[in-house]
Amino acid sequence: MRLRQFCPASVAEIAGVAVLLLILIWLEPGDGKTGGLLAPLLNPLFGSLGNGHEVSSARHIVTGLLLTIALWLNFATLRLLPWPLQVAAVWLELLLLFAAFVSSFDRDLGVWFESGRAGQTNLAYLISTGAFTTLYVSIISIGIACVFAMTAALGRLSRSGPAYAIATFYISFFRGTPLLLQVYLIYVGLPQLGREFALDAVPSGILALSLCYGAYLAEIFRAGIIGVPHGQHDAALALGLDRRLTFRKIILPQAMRLIVPPTGNQFIAMLKDSSLVSVMGVWELTKTAQVIGKRDFKVFEMLIAAAIIYWLISIVFELIQSRIEAYYGKGRQR
Amino acid sequence: MTKTTLTGLSSTLTLALTLALALPGSNALAGETLDRVLQSKTLTMSSDPEYPPQSFLNDANEMDGFDIDVGKEIARRMGVELAIVTPGWEIITAGHWAGRWDMSVGSMTPTKSRAEILDFPAIYYYTPAAFAVHTESSVNTLAELNGKVIGTCGGCTYDAYLNKELVIDAQNVPGFEYQVTAGEIKTYETDTNAYDDLRLGDGVRLDAVFSALPTIQEAIKNGYPLRVVGAPAFYEPLAVATDKGDAEFNARIAEIIAAMHADGTLKKLSMKWYGVDLTTVQ
Repeated sequence: MRLRQFCPASVAEIAGVAVLLLILIWLEPGDGKTGGLLAPLLNPLFGSLGNGHEVSSARHIVTGLLLTIALWLNFATLRLLPWPLQVAAVWLELLLLFAAFVSSFDRDLGVWFESGRAGQTNLAYLISTGAFTTLYVSIISIGIACVFAMTAALGRLSRSGPAYAIATFYISFFRGTPLLLQVYLIYVGLPQLGREFALDAVPSGILALSLCYGAYLAEIFRAGIIGVPHGQHDAALALGLDRRLTFRKIILPQAMRLIVPPTGNQFIAMLKDSSLVSVMGVWELTKTAQVIGKRDFKVFEMLIAAAIIYWLISIVFELIQSRIEAYYGKGRQR
Repeated sequence: MTKTTLTGLSSTLTLALTLALALPGSNALAGETLDRVLQSKTLTMSSDPEYPPQSFLNDANEMDGFDIDVGKEIARRMGVELAIVTPGWEIITAGHWAGRWDMSVGSMTPTKSRAEILDFPAIYYYTPAAFAVHTESSVNTLAELNGKVIGTCGGCTYDAYLNKELVIDAQNVPGFEYQVTAGEIKTYETDTNAYDDLRLGDGVRLDAVFSALPTIQEAIKNGYPLRVVGAPAFYEPLAVATDKGDAEFNARIAEIIAAMHADGTLKKLSMKWYGVDLTTVQ
C-alpha cells in the first residue's frame, strides 16, 4: 500500500487549528470529562483536580492546547492513509465518540438486556414487536405510495383536465396538511360516514402513510419523467414505438435514475414518520420503546436503543438504494 | 387523570368533516355495545400502556396494573373475555369509537367537556394530586412552592389546578382550595416527562412537579430523586368511560362497579397496587 505524501500545512489549515484551539480553551475543559482524562499528565504540574480547588486558567489553556494537538495529529495521520481507510477510520472515530457521548449519560443501559418472566430481553422484545411492525408498515406503505405517486405524476402530466385537477388537488392536500391530522381524518373521521369505513389501526396507518408519501413521491416521479431529454421521445417516435411502449421502455428506465435517490430519502423519512401510527395503538418501534421504558422508568434508555435500531435499518436501506442506483445508472458509466 | 382534556383539535376535526361531507355524526344505537359484547363474548377496553401503576406492560410482556385489573373484573362479572387496545389519549377522548372498543378504564376524570363526548357510567376510584420536589430542594411546605417553576402535563387537570380553573363536575367531588401559585407553569406531553426534567437537579429546569401521588411514588421507587411535599392538593374522581348512546351497557357497568365497591373488590385492588385505599373520598 502506497502512503500518501505528507503535505505541508496550508494557511486554511493553520487558521482552522487556531479557531479550534480558541474554542477548546473557551470551553474551559480543564475540569471537564476530557480534562479528567489528562489528569495523570497534568496533576504533577497543577496539583490534583477536585477537592473544591478552583481550576486555574493556565490549566484550561494547557488542556485545550493538548486536545488541539491531539486532534490535529489525528487528521495529519489520517491523511497519510489511502482513501477507503480514511473513511473507515473517521467513521470508527465518530462512532466511538457517539458511544462515549451515550455512555456519559447517567443512565442504566443494562436494561436493554434484562429479561423478565417472559424470558425475552427488552431489546429482543423491542425488535420482535416494534422494529418488525415499523418495517412491515413502512415497506407496504412505500409500495402503495409508489403506485399513488406514479398515478398522480401521470395525472399532472396529462392533458385531461379532470385528471390534472384530481392529481394536483391530491398532491396539494396531502403535502399541505400534517400527517398526524391525516391519520386522525382516516381513523376518527371516516367511521362517521358509516361503520363499514371503520378501518383497523394498521390499515388506517398504512393508508395515511401511503397517501401522504404518495403525494411527495408524485413530485419526485414527475421531476424524474420530465428530466428525460425530449430528444428521447423524438427518437422513439422515429423508431415507430407507440406512446405506451416509449414510456415503458425508453422514458421510465432513464427517469428511474433520477427517481431512486430521493425515493430512498423518502423511505428513510417514512421509517421514522411511521411512529405516528402509534396514536391508534399500534406498537411500532418508538411506541414499544416508550411502553417498555415506562414500566421501569427507563424511557430514555429504551429510546436510545430504538434510535440505534432505526439507524441500522436506515443503513441497510441506504445499501439497497445504492445497488438500485447502480443498476439504473448503468447507461451512464464510462 | 393526568391526561390532556379533549383537545379542540378532535372536535374541530369532527366538525370539519361533518360540514365538509354534510352528514350527521353517527350515534350508537341503544343496546348496540352490550349486544356486541355479549354476542362476541369479548369486552374490549382501551388503556394507556405507559401509565404505571395504573396500566403498563409487566415483565411477562402482558398488560397489567390497577386499571387492567378493574377491566378484567368487569369482564369476568359480565361473563366475557377481556381484550385490550391502546389507542392514544386524543383518539379515545375524540369519542365516536365506531365499535372498535367498548369501554375505557383509563383513569379518566369525568369533566364537563368530556361528558359531552363520552358517557361516564361509574366512578371507580379517586386519585390524590401532589407536589414533589428534588431531594436536594430546601422546600418543605406547600407555601414555599409559591413563585416556583412547576412542571406538569399540558391541558390536564393538574394544569387546570395550577391555573386555578379546575372544574370537575362529577358527583362526590371532594372540595379543595388553590394552595399554590406557581411562578411559572411548564407543561409537558405527560407529567412523567416533567419528572425527567426535575431529575436533572433542583432548579435546573424545574423546582417542582405536580402530578398523581401514586405515579410520583412509583417514580421514587424506581430511583427518581424526588420527595413529596405536603398533603395532597385535591382528590380527583376517576371513571369508566363509554361511547355515547348505550344506556343498557352503561347501567350494566354502573351496577358492576357498585357491586365491586360494596363487596370490597375495588378496595382490595387499590391496596394491591397503591398500598392505600383510594376507592372512597378521604
